[in-house]
Amino acid sequence: MRELRFLLAVWKANLISAMEFRLSFISQVVGMMLNDAAYFVFWIIFFERFEFVHGWGLQDMVLIYGLVAVSYGVGLYLFGNAMLLGDVITKGQLDYYLSLPRPVLLHVLASRSQLSAAGDILFGLLTFFFAGQVTLDAFARYLLAILGSTVIFIAFLVIVQSLAFWLGSVQVLGTFATNAIVTFSIYPSRLFDASARLLLFTLVPAMLVGAVPAELVRGFTWGRAGLLALGAAVFFALAGFVFYRGLRRYESGSAIQIQS
Amino acid sequence: MKAAKYLAIFRAQLANRLAYRGDLLVGSLSILIFMFVFLQLWRVTFQAGGSSTIAGLSLQQTMWYLLLTESIYMSKPRLSREISEAVKDGSIAYLLNKPYNFLLYHFSIGMADSLSRFGFNLLSGGALLWLLVSPPPPALGWPMVLVAVLLAWGIDFCIQALIGLLAFVSEDVLAFDWIYQKLLFILGGMLIPIDFFPSWLQKVAQALPFQYAMYGPARLFVQPEAGQFLKLLAGQAAWLAGLGLLLTIAYTRGVRRLSVNGG
Repeated sequence: MRELRFLLAVWKANLISAMEFRLSFISQVVGMMLNDAAYFVFWIIFFERFEFVHGWGLQDMVLIYGLVAVSYGVGLYLFGNAMLLGDVITKGQLDYYLSLPRPVLLHVLASRSQLSAAGDILFGLLTFFFAGQVTLDAFARYLLAILGSTVIFIAFLVIVQSLAFWLGSVQVLGTFATNAIVTFSIYPSRLFDASARLLLFTLVPAMLVGAVPAELVRGFTWGRAGLLALGAAVFFALAGFVFYRGLRRYESGSAIQIQS
Repeated sequence: MKAAKYLAIFRAQLANRLAYRGDLLVGSLSILIFMFVFLQLWRVTFQAGGSSTIAGLSLQQTMWYLLLTESIYMSKPRLSREISEAVKDGSIAYLLNKPYNFLLYHFSIGMADSLSRFGFNLLSGGALLWLLVSPPPPALGWPMVLVAVLLAWGIDFCIQALIGLLAFVSEDVLAFDWIYQKLLFILGGMLIPIDFFPSWLQKVAQALPFQYAMYGPARLFVQPEAGQFLKLLAGQAAWLAGLGLLLTIAYTRGVRRLSVNGG
């Protein structure tokens, strides 16, 4: 509860800071919505020509694409430093967070909001109304799916970026991993063969970020909900373990600064 | 004399990039993800269609086409962001009094960066396709493709620089950059060959410059023909001339209204 109040205060501060440059914030949000919509034109063209591929059609694509957009958006709007954690570690900037009486990982992740991610959230929520099932039940499943998907997405980024404690710079690896999870997550699982699917459930958990939550929205089964919950719990625990294990190796950058 | 100066900048930057070949190779690994996903998608699409070709392209040709568009896209620099940052933070003022043209300097640097990354992207992605799909298209067409790719980057440079210069009048150009990238994705034919479009959209794409920055060189790569090459070259040259003129005007006007505080 104490942590939640702390997070709310950090997010509020981020929002106030963004509002200082209101025009830039709005243009980034609207720009990102247009950006997401423009990318989706590819799928409209694709299904205009091919209609169904492996029983998979435009509405399935709307659902999975929108859901991943919201998860990505929620994750990076609320925990915007997840993609930059490696940089924070290698530049010795954890000193600042370590000197404060708050959970280090949570504080680092939440202390920055990726403003354009708000556009992903809005775009994704809008697509829900075009994905076929517009009922309260489906929307509740949608929110549940987003929660699981966001936790797994952010946890995966934290694991990859925390490797900076051992490897030094993880810029290239981080870009590669982010590209991988985003690219693979917007496709249905049946597109991939068994060995690729195994990798996409474990090493790069893209199926848990896109396909499984999307199937949960299509229809609730305890199996799907359990798989998503299990994935979220495992990746959440793994992210905490890897980060705090690495933190033991952290060497100060003498970067403690007093911020007023 | 002037060209020699920019050629020297280009050579120095190319040598600089190639000194870190390991970084270039690691940086090119991302293309493997995209090509792998495209391969899965198009393999099932061709299977579902039950035909060996779609709009005259086989699965093998489609994959090599996509490798070229991805390589062109992933190799080019994010120039609009660099220029807009230079305008916003005022560092453009320091570059303006140097003995070179600001735009041509960026063009030389950008071409060297693009060429070095392009080689490694093609190498990584090409190895994957050769292994999983087929050998590359005939090498006879490669020199023509290289010329077309260089002109494609020229067109992209003009558009990106124009977007970057919008920073003279707009607080943030990021959104314009995103939209441009998506226009390349769709109307440029980066994600899907324009041949697969409905005919009305093909006409729209043909009337715009984006296809000359992506589709043209990639299509030539999979079906190299001298006639097609000359037609492409003429289209690219025309767009390059028009956009180049527009860029020169925008740059001259922008610099005139530049005001830098402090220093």
